[in-house]
Amino acid sequence: MAEHYSSFQRGGVRWLIQRVTAAFLVVVLAFHFFLLHFVHHAADVTFGMTSARMQELTYFSLMVLFLVTATFHGVNGVYNALINQGLAGIQKRIVQGVLIVASALLIVQGLRTAVVWAGGIPL
Amino acid sequence: MSQSYDRGLIEDFGRWREFSAGMWAWIFHKFTGWVLVGYLFTHIAVLSTALQSPEAYTTTIQSLESLLIVRLLEVGLLAVAVFHILNGVRLLFIDLGIGLEAQDRSFYASLILTGAIVIASVPTFLVGVFG
Repeated sequence: MAEHYSSFQRGGVRWLIQRVTAAFLVVVLAFHFFLLHFVHHAADVTFGMTSARMQELTYFSLMVLFLVTATFHGVNGVYNALINQGLAGIQKRIVQGVLIVASALLIVQGLRTAVVWAGGIPL
Repeated sequence: MSQSYDRGLIEDFGRWREFSAGMWAWIFHKFTGWVLVGYLFTHIAVLSTALQSPEAYTTTIQSLESLLIVRLLEVGLLAVAVFHILNGVRLLFIDLGIGLEAQDRSFYASLILTGAIVIASVPTFLVGVFG
């Protein structure tokens, strides 16, 4: 019999959003790696090069969406993995709070950096 | 008709010799996920040097990239990311009910493809680090 292993309860909202963000991230993470390691080499990166890319609205918005979806997907994955390991009760609430705050800080810091690179929001 | 199957406790890693392909895929996906989320926070921290000054950002990136250990860690990161992507695609298909009967073979294919992509990428990741 084929078996199914997952840290998620199938059919739940967190399960669904994890799959939707996964489908997006599969493409964008591969693009990110390819662009910054194969088209350009990471060793050649300068502020000017990054800034030029981020001044394009399409690239800027893609990277912002990348940041938000990757943060959600990663933190949601960690949260569900911990629940799968038996996290419950007050500990679950504390972990939930810590992960939400950490996610918010990460996204704010990423957005601040993106805006500095782009010299403002490129509208 | 659905059947019940007692797979035992997968969280009991002491049973690793009894693990099937699907269980190994679950463990590898979880491990690579933890590495990637850890890296995401580190990545944003390094990129945040752009908030200090353009020079601080460029100097930080280029100094890190001049270190062999950083290049090797990047190859490791590539391996982790490629496996997570390929196994993630495998999971998306399985969730859609596609390829369920071949889920063990698709896990082995993910491993082999990850190895091939990583080995082929090593020269690109190490270019210029030896002077």
